[in-house]
Amino acid sequence: MSHSVKIVMVEDDHGHAKLIEKNIRRANIANDIVHFDHGEAALDYLFSEEVRHNGPVLILLDLNLPDMSGTDILEKVKSDDNLRRAPVVVLTTTDDKVEIQRCYDLGCNVYITKPVDYEAFAGAIRQLGLFLSVMQAPEI
Amino acid sequence: MKRFRPALRTFGIFLRTPTLSRSIIALLALALLLLLAVNTATLVMIQRTSNYNDTVDHSQQVRLAAKDTVMLLTDAETGQRGFMLTARAEYLGVHDNAVAKLPAVLERLETLVQNDPESSARVAKVKQMARERLALMDETINQTRTGRIGEAVARIRGGQGKTLMDAMRVELAAIDAIEARRLAERTHQSEWAQAVTVAVNALAGVLILVLAGISVWLVRRYVAEIEAAHFELDRVNAGLENEVRDRTAELTRANEEIQRFAYIVSHDLRAPLVNVMGYTSELEQVSRMVDEQLTAVDAAHPGLTDPDVLRAVREDAPEAVGFIRTSTAKMDRLINAILRLSREGRRALAPERLDMTGVAQTIADTVHHQVAETGGEIVVGPLPPLESDRLAVEQIFGNLIDNAVKYQQPDRPIRIEVQGQETPDGWVEYRIIDNGRGVSPKDHERIFELFRRSGKQDKPGEGLGLAFVRNIVRRLGGSIEIESELGQGSTFHLKFPKRLTMLGDYQGDRL
Repeated sequence: MSHSVKIVMVEDDHGHAKLIEKNIRRANIANDIVHFDHGEAALDYLFSEEVRHNGPVLILLDLNLPDMSGTDILEKVKSDDNLRRAPVVVLTTTDDKVEIQRCYDLGCNVYITKPVDYEAFAGAIRQLGLFLSVMQAPEI
Repeated sequence: MKRFRPALRTFGIFLRTPTLSRSIIALLALALLLLLAVNTATLVMIQRTSNYNDTVDHSQQVRLAAKDTVMLLTDAETGQRGFMLTARAEYLGVHDNAVAKLPAVLERLETLVQNDPESSARVAKVKQMARERLALMDETINQTRTGRIGEAVARIRGGQGKTLMDAMRVELAAIDAIEARRLAERTHQSEWAQAVTVAVNALAGVLILVLAGISVWLVRRYVAEIEAAHFELDRVNAGLENEVRDRTAELTRANEEIQRFAYIVSHDLRAPLVNVMGYTSELEQVSRMVDEQLTAVDAAHPGLTDPDVLRAVREDAPEAVGFIRTSTAKMDRLINAILRLSREGRRALAPERLDMTGVAQTIADTVHHQVAETGGEIVVGPLPPLESDRLAVEQIFGNLIDNAVKYQQPDRPIRIEVQGQETPDGWVEYRIIDNGRGVSPKDHERIFELFRRSGKQDKPGEGLGLAFVRNIVRRLGGSIEIESELGQGSTFHLKFPKRLTMLGDYQGDRL
């Protein structure tokens, strides 16, 4: 994975954010992680000139945000000419089939349900790490 | 008499009950009575008129006979005088003719007045005098015939004949007057009776018109009432339909809201649970690291570490972590159960015709191995078909049969029976009968509640199955009841409408 790929994490639960970060680090991923706990701040950052043109980024997205639904962010990112190539990993507690389908329809690349069982959770994040380490993020 | 009592009582009730039909029947009866009265009066009148006519006829005959008598006597006298004056036989012919007719006329008169004492007496007198007068005439005629005209004239001059004639005229006039008076009386009576009849007829006619008017008024009022009631009923019905529609929509909305609520809550409850689990693992790792460190320190410098601290790190901390783990695991299961219920509640139902014998047999086959292991059996009787949602029905029967197998009495081989029949009112009933451990009557409601269980807690489970079953049964418009005694086995009674009809527009979500 290219050194310059930034991980943008949109997650309102700081506990979850910390757990995700810890497990990513444990999977030996050393990329920068930028954390936002609000959808608005995340969108501002993603649509700033600096990020839009100086990617590459990977987006880790929670669906249940206080100010908007994660799917709103997903939709905006995937309808932007520059950002739409950025891989989006939806990582959320919702395992609603309709919601999962909707995310894939909107262009989400991976959908992961946060398991309550910690081992499974850590396993899932480590797999994500593995996935991230082999994934070639495009320049945007 | 006894036989009439009920009829009398019925009649009494009929009289005491103020209804339209009673009023109309009373009015009709009254009108009929009036018609009858009019009829009777008319009949009486006809009878009387006929009597009157007879009387009139009789009086006329009496008067005629009296007149004839006077005329014949006068004729006889005229003939006698003519003969005496002229001594010509043809005058005697007039006399003889009158004399010959007289007895018959007198006879007729006598017969006509025989029921009238006064007239009878007078007729008798007339008869007597007529005889005397005729005898006198004969005497003078004979004297004339024998040439003793002077004697005859002297006889007439004696005036006896004239006296007799006058007396007879008086008697006959009296009879005539009696009949005339009687005739006038009868005529007056007849006129009065006629007037009464006319009055009765007119009055009855007016009364019948009044009764008819009242009947018409009653019927019109009744019809107006019926129309008003009908209108009111239509209005109420329309209102009721609207109300039912509104209520159904409201209930559907409320149900949707509860399902959404359950769904959102269970999701939101999961997020903190992820943290509890995650950081418990982190703490576990920390405690393991501390343990390793302390063990190393203890090995290098024995006595430096506090044994209480070592025990806390080696025993208390893992124990605490273990409790947190099992509790969160349980909480996760409960949240998943709520999610499942909520999802089932939102699933769209697709009614289809189900061969219930087949459905039940398929489920029975899945537990066949477990049942046969302990020497038990499961019997599926012929079941009436049902038009409902296949998945929901399979879940209901699956849960109930699984329960029967799960809660069997260990000291006797299990026997499960599935029966069913249609009821005449469009429902289908099924029974799942087992000889298992049974449920105490005080727990009959409790076992259908979420997270509640009954009896010995020696089987795994969250207290979900029956809550879930009842939820689905209700969605299918049915009902479920248990009949059971502790240790005596259980019978679950299921009742469904023969055809599942969807209420309202809400068809559920595709989840």
